[in-house]
Amino acid sequence: MPTPTTTGFTRRDFLATGAKLGAAFIAAPYLARAASIGSGTDSLNIGLIGCGEEGRVLMNAALKIPNIRFRAVCDIWPYNRRYGERLLEKFGHDPKPFEDYREMLSAVPDLDAVIVATPDFVHAEHTNTSLKAGKHVYCEKLMSNTVEGARSMVRTARETGRLLQIGHQRRSNPRYIYARDRIVHGNRLLGRVTNAIAQWNRAVTEDLGFPAKQAIPEDVLQRYGYANMHEFRNWRWFKRYSGGVISDLGAHQIDVFNWMLGSNPTSVIAGGGRDYYPNHEWYDNVFVIYEYPTAEQVVRASYHVLTTTSAGGGYNEYFMGDEGALKMSENPKYTKLYREDRAPDWGEWVKQGLVVRPDSGEGALPPVKPWEKPLSHPPMMSKSVSSVVDVRETAELSAWDMPVTLDKAIHQPHLENFFDAIRGKAALNCPGETALASAATILRVNEAVAARKMLSFVPEDFTA
Amino acid sequence: MSEPTPSSPAASRCEYTWAFLILRLFLGLRTFFEGVEKFEKGGTYSFKNYYENMGRMAQGITGASFLPLWATRNYAHTLGYLLLVLGAALLLGVKTRVTLILTGLLYVSLSFGLMAVQENEGVAWLGVYIGLFAGALALVRHNRFVLWRDRFE
Repeated sequence: MPTPTTTGFTRRDFLATGAKLGAAFIAAPYLARAASIGSGTDSLNIGLIGCGEEGRVLMNAALKIPNIRFRAVCDIWPYNRRYGERLLEKFGHDPKPFEDYREMLSAVPDLDAVIVATPDFVHAEHTNTSLKAGKHVYCEKLMSNTVEGARSMVRTARETGRLLQIGHQRRSNPRYIYARDRIVHGNRLLGRVTNAIAQWNRAVTEDLGFPAKQAIPEDVLQRYGYANMHEFRNWRWFKRYSGGVISDLGAHQIDVFNWMLGSNPTSVIAGGGRDYYPNHEWYDNVFVIYEYPTAEQVVRASYHVLTTTSAGGGYNEYFMGDEGALKMSENPKYTKLYREDRAPDWGEWVKQGLVVRPDSGEGALPPVKPWEKPLSHPPMMSKSVSSVVDVRETAELSAWDMPVTLDKAIHQPHLENFFDAIRGKAALNCPGETALASAATILRVNEAVAARKMLSFVPEDFTA
Repeated sequence: MSEPTPSSPAASRCEYTWAFLILRLFLGLRTFFEGVEKFEKGGTYSFKNYYENMGRMAQGITGASFLPLWATRNYAHTLGYLLLVLGAALLLGVKTRVTLILTGLLYVSLSFGLMAVQENEGVAWLGVYIGLFAGALALVRHNRFVLWRDRFE
């Protein structure tokens, strides 16, 4: 009969094993993400130009995508560059750091694609050079601070045969795709779309600073086109680097006008000014009205961006039809679908799962208390009659939800679409040609504000 | 200027009779359908639904108050049948005076449950019904059209 043996598991062994298990437990998330970097045929080598705010957002989104290997990071500010390098190293990447993007392109020849997340005024330069070096390019919006710059990017992509995706990420967001393809166009729940309103209201923000010891020398800044460190950090507010708030915030939402309405505008009238921030060049508030020709009628779309208040419902794009309305936002809490009282019953759409009754918030039934029986049918008199104060008011809209959520970072699906397009598995959701039309639509606003009159578009404005 | 003509005692009795009958029918219907509703779930009616609904109610009240589950469960399992029987008795006119007292007390017991979970809106609504039961008891001597009279009638 075998005798039981002692294991010889000493206290030292116990402590050593425990320490190893603890270290493995702490490192598990990083190891899991590092393991997904991969090196197969599907693996893509990526270089990042610009490790600032937007570059970090894109890095964090891309790190969640399998088979992506960051091989190089580039930024003229060592402070940003080191941040990007360290973040990527933490997740198992081994990026080479560069100050000059041209050096990066020549020193790391096996890059498949380049992500451009630099200020708008250098988008065209960075994108065109990368495309000419044979790289596919994902460039942040706004495509360029000039229409000519944007047009040159389209032409270069065409000439080189490389892919160019612009970062209007709402075009890859499954919630927006569902709203456009199934709600607005496919099943026409809004009926005839007559108007659109969008806004981005944001509270006062302080200018960005920088640690004094980390300042870039003046000669280096000037070599790369910046007047000084303050303008380098706050380039969005200065005319030589960007198109101002209308291109910074408005770009996303005005692009959604073009996409959702399926056309480009014929005219724009706008007003705005630099009324609050004395040390900025660009307007801090802008109000715009576009006219969009659609198959059914001219749709007037108004947009405003305010940088001194977050009142008024944050940021959303609101499409209004004669049978319903859709309020979209990247933030689901600002998103809602509305049914006009005169519209056909939506019971069939509920049965088909196209729309759902809200579980909570606007349009939801009052919460059922633990001791109450849930209602099988909504109560007959659920609408508030006390809010009707005038006979000229029409019936209150009922609020509904869409059964689609996005459980990823908002930029991730757009990057996934870009990488899938490189692999030949998808078409780009926002190719350069499409983004050029949006850039032309957006940048004309600043001209309209300056001209203080309505400006017209011709079809050639939107093409390269 | 003419003196107001007092209504005749017979006419007055008729008005009280109708006033009470309307009140009795309302309270009877309300109580009866309150009982019926306890058997409904998802648009269908069954004893299975009844015990599910009542089980949820008992759990909910116990979870939000000091009342023990054995007490709330026994109460809940009896409640629906009591509402049906008392509601039907009011509608048909079976021992109306006694029925009004019992139904009024049942509504007081419901109020007690809602007071225990601090459901003030529900308590206020039940208070309205209890006021109606009190009014009905004040008028019960005018009860007519009954199946089984009270002893005093």
